[in-house]
Amino acid sequence: MSTARWAKVAALAAGIGGVVAAPYVLPSYVVSLLTLVFISALLAGSVNLLAGLAGLVSIGHAGIAAAAAYGVAWAAVHDLGLAAELGVAAAITFAVSVVYALTTMRTAGIVFLMITLALGITVFGLALKLSSITGGQNGLTGIRRPEVVSEWWKFYFFTAATYGLCLLGLAVVSRSPFGLMLRGIRESQTRMTSLGYSVTAVKFAAVVVSGAFAGCAGVLLAWNSEFMSPSAASFSRSALAVVMVIVGGTGTLLGPLVGAGIVVAAEYWLSSYVERWQTVLGVVLILVVLFAPRGIVGGLEGLARQFSHRP
Amino acid sequence: MPVDELLLQALNGLSFGALLFLLASGFTLVFGLMKIVNLAHGAFYLVGGYIGIATFTAARNFLVAVLAGVATAAVFGLASERVLLRRVRGKELPEVLLTVGIALVIADGCLAVFGGNPRSIPIPTVLSESVRLGGFTYPTYRLFVIALATAVGVLLYVVQHRTRLGALIRAGVDDRETAESMGINVPRVFTAMFVFGAALAGLAGVVAAGLLTLRPGADTDILLFALVVVVVGGLGSLQGAAVGSALIGLVDAFSKAWVPELSYFAVFAPMAIVLMFRPSGLFGRSRT
Amino acid sequence: MIPRRGRGRQRAARVLLVALVLVFAASACAPDEETTGGGTEGTVKLGFISPVTGFVAALGTDMRRGWEMYWQQNGGKAGDVTVQTVFEDDTGDPEVALTKARRLVEQEQVQLVAGPILANTAYAVAGYVAGKGLPTVQMTGADDLTQRKFDPLVLRVGYTSSQSNFPAGQWAYEQGHRSAVTICPDYAFGWESCGGFVSAFVDAGGKIEKQVWHPLGTQDFSTYVAQARQANPDVVFIGSAGGPDAILFYKAWTGFGLKDKIPLVGNCCFADQVFLREVGDEALDLQSFTYWSEGRDSAVVQNFVKAYEQQHKEIPSLYAAGAYMMAQVVAEALKKTGGKIEGADFINAARQVSLSDSLYGALTFDDTNNVVGPVYLTRVERRDDGTLWSVVEKTFPQVSQFWTKGKDAFLKHPVFSREYTGQ
Repeated sequence: MSTARWAKVAALAAGIGGVVAAPYVLPSYVVSLLTLVFISALLAGSVNLLAGLAGLVSIGHAGIAAAAAYGVAWAAVHDLGLAAELGVAAAITFAVSVVYALTTMRTAGIVFLMITLALGITVFGLALKLSSITGGQNGLTGIRRPEVVSEWWKFYFFTAATYGLCLLGLAVVSRSPFGLMLRGIRESQTRMTSLGYSVTAVKFAAVVVSGAFAGCAGVLLAWNSEFMSPSAASFSRSALAVVMVIVGGTGTLLGPLVGAGIVVAAEYWLSSYVERWQTVLGVVLILVVLFAPRGIVGGLEGLARQFSHRP
Repeated sequence: MPVDELLLQALNGLSFGALLFLLASGFTLVFGLMKIVNLAHGAFYLVGGYIGIATFTAARNFLVAVLAGVATAAVFGLASERVLLRRVRGKELPEVLLTVGIALVIADGCLAVFGGNPRSIPIPTVLSESVRLGGFTYPTYRLFVIALATAVGVLLYVVQHRTRLGALIRAGVDDRETAESMGINVPRVFTAMFVFGAALAGLAGVVAAGLLTLRPGADTDILLFALVVVVVGGLGSLQGAAVGSALIGLVDAFSKAWVPELSYFAVFAPMAIVLMFRPSGLFGRSRT
Repeated sequence: MIPRRGRGRQRAARVLLVALVLVFAASACAPDEETTGGGTEGTVKLGFISPVTGFVAALGTDMRRGWEMYWQQNGGKAGDVTVQTVFEDDTGDPEVALTKARRLVEQEQVQLVAGPILANTAYAVAGYVAGKGLPTVQMTGADDLTQRKFDPLVLRVGYTSSQSNFPAGQWAYEQGHRSAVTICPDYAFGWESCGGFVSAFVDAGGKIEKQVWHPLGTQDFSTYVAQARQANPDVVFIGSAGGPDAILFYKAWTGFGLKDKIPLVGNCCFADQVFLREVGDEALDLQSFTYWSEGRDSAVVQNFVKAYEQQHKEIPSLYAAGAYMMAQVVAEALKKTGGKIEGADFINAARQVSLSDSLYGALTFDDTNNVVGPVYLTRVERRDDGTLWSVVEKTFPQVSQFWTKGKDAFLKHPVFSREYTGQ
């Protein structure tokens, strides 16, 4: 194998090794932060699927995740059991994704952005309004993780494994003919139509598929916090997901993970030590844009390509 | 609903819409000319407003406060464009992320300097009386805001369509290369526009400080309204911003009066309806 | 030959399989047991969460100041025990609050968590901390925290959102008002605040003409003020969450000339210091029902106000006072337990705390861990140096969260909401 490939394998092994070793070498709190990173990366990954491949930036995906999380929460609060929690979450994810898809499949660019914005805020508003189901502003307590993964380190492995599986799924979608269709749409919608593709049908499917990943993130979110409130659907959560995607590198496979790492580190870790953590995050974003306009992973990939071209 | 109530709500809607116009006009102009979605626009509004409040507390003069707020926002706009945005011209997502970073820094700076307490400008005494309109009294300041926004709107329209500066700008938008080859310094025009847009945001901030309050998060709240206005009106269109802000302001006021449970999402209804029939907004230019 | 794409997929699948196997294997071996609740001899470590950034940054900052002031005044000790506090910022978001609580408990090994303030953040934190077997002290108003969602590890040093408004309803009727309009934000705090006023007012014989519910963060109250005016009531009750909403409401209220036309009565958090600083003289003579009156003629209160003003250049708000009270009760409990914090025992000791005077007045706790104490009718006045503050006009002593109904009768009703408004 070439040097580049050895490097990739080594990096992959180191990464997986690190993930597996974490609960044994790091304190439980840090591991719980890593769990949060994986969950955020999954949501960001769902946004990246649409933004990176089809050029459709959704700033309302936290709404889909939150809806799924509420499904889990509601079923848990009514003591309906694990199967019901997953079943309700799946049904809600599908229904909400379909709504997102139907309203956006004929749009692109800024209009797509604004409609997803509106949808995300609508989910937020519904979570506030339907207080007999959602607990309203006060939220729902009493959600419990499934017995088998309830301990912090077990839940961490469960989340990491779920993320890994979803990552594989995202990679498969990206490299599939469907993924190529999405890329085609980003290049030129008219050309795709003239080639015989139904652009609206493809977009519809893309949003639903992306919604499925967001729904997974939502289920993990509900189990992680064992609490649910409307703020999970807020505009700022959706916006942060987009920030994670862009910082990490739109269209790259691992970009969302890197982006999630940075944002979670700033919001939850840095904020314990630095009161002006939001300024720090802002400066980091600015620096990334100036020095790595294709995102961190995008920039690294560019560097790698440069090196592999050297004789 | 009796006519008086109808008029009251309409004025409420128009005065809020007037504020939205001051904010949305800058946003839409910057987008129309430079294709930048400036998510730091709310932050310019916030910092302009805070400085306006601080100046008013010190100098007790509303006009001076307005000037200070406008100037501050303009300076931040200048710094953002010349130092940062210029380096990523044309790349959409990086531009957006850059403006998000700028917004975070400015908003957090405001929190650090001005604290978390909600702040506002006590309405200047000459404007604090209420005026009798038909059967009820209405705050004069709100009428002033409507008048101000109308004046600004007319001024912008005149400049855009009747002056050489406006022609220069429109030329730069339509065909940058030709304009440059004709000796127009397009980058400088763009900087000037961005600064002007920021200045408008600053004006909106100081005016808002008399109408509402400023506090952490106010930048995002108002930015969301501005985005809706601009999408409804059509990105890049001044008339669109005017019509859109009036429409959104009215929908907001009446929905709060008639269906307060739904007032949260009510402003998205006109957006959804307009986008269904005219995806590029009421006055927008369609871009495939 | 396997085509390149297939080979890539095979490799990816293999890598993933290995990873998953590793993860499953690892998940069979437990890492070291996490410890909680450490503390060296003679010291206790407490955690304090409040929103120091975000849209309620003002509240969170005041809370920190109030808490710190108590320990400053007492040499950082409770009896013989030294008290250490670790502070965290929850930004007003429950997810962040929960993560910070985790950090306090698991990394900092605190023995008790105090705060935060917003109801959803408080529920999230209390649920987690109590789930870990540690005691938590709260000052949020959420009614059910000490009612239907009672937990032996949770103590509220404060009043429920409805508690201080029961006397308001009764008093309004006694003043001769027979019809009322209520204006409250359309979420749990608003429902509970209005619920308190309405249930007492209606029980006394009054009629509610209209209930106006506004969304949180409303920028423009003119619509709601217009609706209130249209109903032409004898009195209007405003159950505000404070901050910008209160200020903006009052701007609309005065702007439409209603200040001297319809009597207005506020809840605990309407005309607080944040409001008075912004609104200024327009607020003179405003009446409210609250548990914190910074102008109350009591040595305890005035000493606190003086010390706080000296340090922070502003009169303490109810958030600063509330956090100070939390610290005081914790300190008194520590003195009772000899510096030990052991789960429900500590909360039981705290519940035994009885103060003849405090920032809130003479208070005790009831058996669901909530304060029983005075509620004051206050009026905004100008102090000698020109600043505005609230002074006491009338005291309603020993008000319970269950008002005059008794716990069982009260709990027969559901919690106040849009469906059950107290009528």
